[in-house]
Amino acid sequence: MAGYSAPRPRRGSERVGGYDCSIIVGDRRFRLLRSRFRRLISVLFVLFLGWYLLYIGLSAFARGFMAQPVVGNVNVALVFGMSQFASTFLLAWCYSRYARRRLDPLAAQICEEAERRREAYTRMMAERGRMDDWFPADEPAGGGQA
Amino acid sequence: MISATGDGRTLTIALFVVFIVITLGVTFWARANTRSADDFYAGGRMFSGAQNGVALAGDYMSAASFLGIAGLIALSGYDGFLYSIGFLVAWLLSLLLVEMMRNAGRFTMADVLSYRARSRPKVRTAAAVSTVTVSVFYLLAQMVGAGALVSMLLGIHSGGTFLGVSGEAAEVLTIAGVGVMMIFYVMFGGMKATTWVQIIKAVLLISSTVVLTALVLGRFGFNLSTMLGAAADASGSSGFLQPGGRYGQDVRGDTVRTVLNKLDLISLALALVLGTAGLPHIVGRFFTVPDARAARRSVNWAIGLVGVFYLMTLALGFGAAALVGEKAISEQDPAGNTAALQLAHELGSHLGGRLGGDLLLAFIGAVAFATILAVVSGLVLASSTSLAHDYFGHVLMLGRPRESQEVAVARVAAFLIGTLAIMLAVVARNLNVAFLVGLAFAMAASANLPAIVLSLFWKRFTATGALAGIYGGLAGSLLLVLLSPVVSGKVDPETGRNLSLLPKGVDFQLFPLENPGLVSIPFGFLCAIAGSLLSREKAEPQGYDELSVRSLTGLGAHRPA
Repeated sequence: MAGYSAPRPRRGSERVGGYDCSIIVGDRRFRLLRSRFRRLISVLFVLFLGWYLLYIGLSAFARGFMAQPVVGNVNVALVFGMSQFASTFLLAWCYSRYARRRLDPLAAQICEEAERRREAYTRMMAERGRMDDWFPADEPAGGGQA
Repeated sequence: MISATGDGRTLTIALFVVFIVITLGVTFWARANTRSADDFYAGGRMFSGAQNGVALAGDYMSAASFLGIAGLIALSGYDGFLYSIGFLVAWLLSLLLVEMMRNAGRFTMADVLSYRARSRPKVRTAAAVSTVTVSVFYLLAQMVGAGALVSMLLGIHSGGTFLGVSGEAAEVLTIAGVGVMMIFYVMFGGMKATTWVQIIKAVLLISSTVVLTALVLGRFGFNLSTMLGAAADASGSSGFLQPGGRYGQDVRGDTVRTVLNKLDLISLALALVLGTAGLPHIVGRFFTVPDARAARRSVNWAIGLVGVFYLMTLALGFGAAALVGEKAISEQDPAGNTAALQLAHELGSHLGGRLGGDLLLAFIGAVAFATILAVVSGLVLASSTSLAHDYFGHVLMLGRPRESQEVAVARVAAFLIGTLAIMLAVVARNLNVAFLVGLAFAMAASANLPAIVLSLFWKRFTATGALAGIYGGLAGSLLLVLLSPVVSGKVDPETGRNLSLLPKGVDFQLFPLENPGLVSIPFGFLCAIAGSLLSREKAEPQGYDELSVRSLTGLGAHRPA
């Protein structure tokens, strides 16, 4: 990571829309955002896939257990199947809530700052352009003193 | 048995004509409002989260799930429900990836991959090949289904005629008609028209499923247990409400076969759950909203709608088993695809006599038809987008096409792919192509998912890795299916009837599972990882940084004009 953290001045590429991403990658908040997001999706991925594979595994190998009645004609298999619906809704809700509270504000901050930096950079370039107009490049500025 | 009387037929056709007229109107409106590439490929990125969520659900709930799952439950009991669950749970993976993809991409999956393979247009070609292959296989399954559905609805099943055309000719005409309509929607209306067609269809499909479910449950005093009991009694099989009726069957005295059957079930389950996030027509819909938050909202909407819908397949399937009966269903169609329609007829008749039956059947039939039409349009749009944007725009024109030129190519591509699909479907119309849906999911999971996931999360991923993953996963799953029992060498042990695609006697079956997912998905990931580690080229860290900044923060993401 350390290799990318040093701000390297370079012209904003087309792909990031004029934002210098080498500065952002080194930003502490960006790293926090990235680690939070990665933790979130790996936890959710393991949870939902594990829970689903448990259900499939039981359907394949534990038929006796799945056939046990719960209420009337409703058996374990049916309850388990419906709980997959419930868990899907629940996990989707958890993901969205976490993203709204812990990820979106962080991303918004990073974007805002990058936007400010880009504006400052644009202003600076415009300033330099004006100076170039006063001291055209082929006549080095202050050349008279040499 | 459905009696396709003259009145019912006329009504089905009339309702369907109404649907066509409305959607044609939408298409003309969309044509007038489609100018840029953003409009054509991504509907101007102006759909709200809710609108796009309904459209996502519309794209996803194919006739295969509406008619197919209901039939599967009606004939084999609980095991049909396994499909419903797989189809829904899969959306969680899409939810985890959607924001990053929306932020990073422009129109297609290849846009996301291109950060890691800037100088390698070959990756674009690979993505286009995979997109078109997956879409065409899925398309084929849908269109063959449409032919069968319509000849049944019009009651020209065996040897009969309708308006002087034989059943065979009517099937060909239907396939061609569906094909022409989908080409028209996509060529003229692009993403705007396709999205509205999906929205209309999703609303129709879900509301009519709600009505059917309420009617079914009403017959059993709104008691789920009573309905299940009636279904189990009518089926006469003791294990009707338990898993094992169709998938992962226990074969007495043959442990190897039993284990293979169970592995086959797990293979199918994995393909369903991991394939959705790689389906091109679903991925393409991530880009039709203004930003990543709207994309998240739309997947949440889709999860809600798809969940409610698949939960209701329980009522449709078990209701059909209880009220129509297995015998009547398999008489009409041994695969059970007519179960939902027969159920509608039965429920309608119960309410309003013969007229009621005809009315409800006609309505549900028209909805099923609209479903097929909408889904195939989504598929054609996804593949023409990839051909025009990825192959023409970035490979042939080196990433510098004129926008108008690229959109024109997309329209032509829609025409060509649509025509190809019509021809293939006409050729395959008498084959049992239901396995193609599972295959399309397996291919999406084996070829597209590794490339997407690794390019988003793995720093050392390279262009060679992407190529190896896409081609490896695609070729692996195709080859395994070719060598599997669905293509050759599967015979019913009791009746001796041929259950494979190819005629009896041809047998080159080497791979024992019907769905390749269990092997081909890990193989796709393995190829992608090995390709990255073994290739001499260095990963481009700069591309990875840009991709992670953009995908996580949304900086520089494509916004509506």
